[in-house]
Amino acid sequence: MALRRYPLKVVLLIGLLSAGIIPPFVFLIYSSLHQLDADGAFGALTFANFTAIFNDRSLGTTLVNSVLYPLGAALVALSVGAAQAWLAERTDATFRQILYVAAIISLGVPYVLYIVAWLLLLSKAGPVNAILAQLFGGTGPYIDVYSLGGMMFVEGMLWSPLAFLLLSPVFRNSDASFEEAASICGAGLFSTLRHITMGMARPALLAFGLLAFIKASEAFEVPALVGLPGSKRVLTSTIYQTLTLSIPPDNGSASAFGVLLLIIMAILLQIYNRVAAQTYRYQTVTGKGFRPRVVRLGRWRYAAGALIVAIPLVVVVVPLATILWAALLPYYQPFSVAALPKLGVANFVQVLHSRSFQSSIVNTLVLGASAATLVTALSVIAGWCVARRMRGSAVLDTLAALPLVFPAIVLGLAFLQIFVHGGTHIYGTLLSLVIASTVAYMPYGLRYAQLGVIQIHPELEEAAAIAGARQGTAFLQIVLPLLVPAMISCWLFVFLIAVRAVSLMLLLVGPDSQIVAVTLFDFWNNGQIGELAALGCVWTAIMTVFSVAFLVLARRFQLPLG
Amino acid sequence: MLQVENLTKLYAAEDSGGIRGIGFDVAAGEFYTLLGPSGCGKSTTLRSVAGLEEPSSGRVTLDNRVIFDFDKSVFVPANQRRLGMVFQSYAVWPHMNVFDNTAFPLRMARDRRWSKADIQKRVMRTLETMGLAALAERSAAQLSGGQQQRLALARALVGEPRLLLLDEPLSNLDALLREQMRSELRRLQKEVGVTAVYVTHDQSEALALSDRIAIMHNGAIVQIGAPRQIYDQPRNAFVATFVGRSNLLPGKLVSRDEQAIQIATVLGPVLCKGPTPTGGPAPGAALIRPEHVILKAIGAGPGEAAINRFRGRVVQLAFLGESTECVVQIGDVSIVVRGLAGQYSGADDVEAFFPPERTSAIVIDDK
Repeated sequence: MALRRYPLKVVLLIGLLSAGIIPPFVFLIYSSLHQLDADGAFGALTFANFTAIFNDRSLGTTLVNSVLYPLGAALVALSVGAAQAWLAERTDATFRQILYVAAIISLGVPYVLYIVAWLLLLSKAGPVNAILAQLFGGTGPYIDVYSLGGMMFVEGMLWSPLAFLLLSPVFRNSDASFEEAASICGAGLFSTLRHITMGMARPALLAFGLLAFIKASEAFEVPALVGLPGSKRVLTSTIYQTLTLSIPPDNGSASAFGVLLLIIMAILLQIYNRVAAQTYRYQTVTGKGFRPRVVRLGRWRYAAGALIVAIPLVVVVVPLATILWAALLPYYQPFSVAALPKLGVANFVQVLHSRSFQSSIVNTLVLGASAATLVTALSVIAGWCVARRMRGSAVLDTLAALPLVFPAIVLGLAFLQIFVHGGTHIYGTLLSLVIASTVAYMPYGLRYAQLGVIQIHPELEEAAAIAGARQGTAFLQIVLPLLVPAMISCWLFVFLIAVRAVSLMLLLVGPDSQIVAVTLFDFWNNGQIGELAALGCVWTAIMTVFSVAFLVLARRFQLPLG
Repeated sequence: MLQVENLTKLYAAEDSGGIRGIGFDVAAGEFYTLLGPSGCGKSTTLRSVAGLEEPSSGRVTLDNRVIFDFDKSVFVPANQRRLGMVFQSYAVWPHMNVFDNTAFPLRMARDRRWSKADIQKRVMRTLETMGLAALAERSAAQLSGGQQQRLALARALVGEPRLLLLDEPLSNLDALLREQMRSELRRLQKEVGVTAVYVTHDQSEALALSDRIAIMHNGAIVQIGAPRQIYDQPRNAFVATFVGRSNLLPGKLVSRDEQAIQIATVLGPVLCKGPTPTGGPAPGAALIRPEHVILKAIGAGPGEAAINRFRGRVVQLAFLGESTECVVQIGDVSIVVRGLAGQYSGADDVEAFFPPERTSAIVIDDK
């Protein structure tokens, strides 16, 4: 029967997604298995790229670092995030709202800017070491940020606001009766917290910890900016080094590293999916008369309040203040009263008047908006097909999730191969960046759209069919209007992550397609701290508008944040 | 009006609402109910009639037109069947107001182009019938459960459908509203004169509303009949226990003729009214409804023939408002007795009498 075949829309979507997603795999694997000729073209088939990796004696250290660094980062993010989430959701501690405001603002701060702030704060001549020297005497330095510990700390801080936002629903949605039952059994505040609250949240904490581990393993910014100066290499930064240190760039070895990382990611994601599925099962066990309870902290209330003020201070305020300080100085020096008369707005004036800065800001906004629009449009239709289990939607689902195995820097490398060797002339254009971003962020978009559709009862569509509407009409008149909130927050989410990260774009930008995050990265490498800070401030202000809009919507419509 | 023949639709998971060889006829203007426990396939049957599911065998004819025939590869899609349907969740579209929800089927109609004025007139007339006219501009998301229910019904009826399908429409309402809507539903259906197929797991709803009931179990129809007939002459033990409460005494057939059937149960011989349905396996149990058991304090009353009389002890007594219910222990068997007003004095030792004309012999399983 004709019905056995896939619906046309599913076939079209599969075709479109395959065209974006399959080539990166093909080109990456192909280039890892071929020699690169002097003119940059592919040469003979070879395994040399792989054997070279495994013969390199530094591989062992790199692998150990690649495990330790994400592990430490995940622990930092998890403990800071979970503490915030519990305080904000389940206690009557003072100043709880501050936590949300801080997390919202930090969503819009580019990674590079944030990392730079920490590097300035923790550097040998920086304020933290100075304060420690004052306290303990001696000359220090007490902290070396360019170390494995420094990487863990900065990456963990980078992730803690998201950890807080993702974990707060876990605490918000746990039923008070479980804790009340523990109180009746004689457990006090802290034993209840330890055995019941945290015990029940454990699967979610584990799932998030694993997610943070995966994200930190594929992170590029911290390994490049913090790790490389201290010669602490992980896989992602090794790929970057392989590409930048040799001339011509050693695409073959880099691709081989990329393939290695791809395999590791695939395994990690498989484990994560298992754990996350378990979490879901755990969470469905909720009491019937659902009602979250606020824990009365009593005399701990103000201590907790102090902690609540301290966390955003450390995570958001101090880093941003450091950046602002740097932006107002003609050349950077650590905070001191003596430097106050030198403050001025020269950097801002320069940033706002420079054509290249302006075009970089415009490019970034265009890139973010186009990628977000494409991803949203594609994933709304794909999400609908998947959520309604149309024929062939399983293929669609798998296909759209494939880019998740690519660390951003590896996907960037793969697209670089495509744009250079693929017979197109779009290398270095804004269009090429839009294509790469759309593919990279499809999985997030699809997840949003799918969850959005699942919230729409299928009977709403069936009612339209019974009323005489064709499937297309039902989609346009019933599904789409109801999906609007999900679509807007999907758009904002993709926009925010697309403009924030440097790693996907770093290898792809050309002179006419500079974007803010990459410009900031280059500034840091050139030592132009004043311009970096000024541009960063302007950009953070623009982004805060978007992230506030996103969070307001996500909370209103109870959509997931990650 | 509606003929359903040999419908089969199986799912990968067992007991998940698949159906096998379902067949029944619905007459014009009839209120026809598919009744059964969850997972019995009643919703699958309804959705197959609606065109929301595609069965893997069989035929559906509506108004002498074949709308589904597996062998001839005929499948008229749901949106061309001209049906009305009320869903369990009501499926009222929250982003439209009451008027637009109701007007939707008219705006989608293929056989006729409705002018704006005609839509206005028809929709308002329907909303008036449902008592929703004052709420026409109200957003559907702001309606109460009962109002959503009426709106769903208005939307189902506005296009004068050939057939009205109702999928457990009362199950989301609270008890009081449910009884109100139940009688209203019946009144409306008779008033409009539409043929209705109704799906429910609630036997009291089915008995109160239907002209005829088809009892479903494990994906098949077990018995079809008028409510009274189903209650009084259940075809097997499943129907007997599912519809109404019952005391079932398993046993062996001893003798049967046109007047009476005798079953040897653990309590001793029980005399039941005859005849049993012809054909099929022999009856394997005696059935007496709780309201038909007569209790007497021992020794009281004239000594009648000892047929169907058993001595027992009252072990539980519950006052239920309009009636009283008690459990009588007879040997190893517990019998539920209901509606004792005036006949039971409160003694512990009693005699339970099963009047033979109220006791039926039924088969345990007729498959």
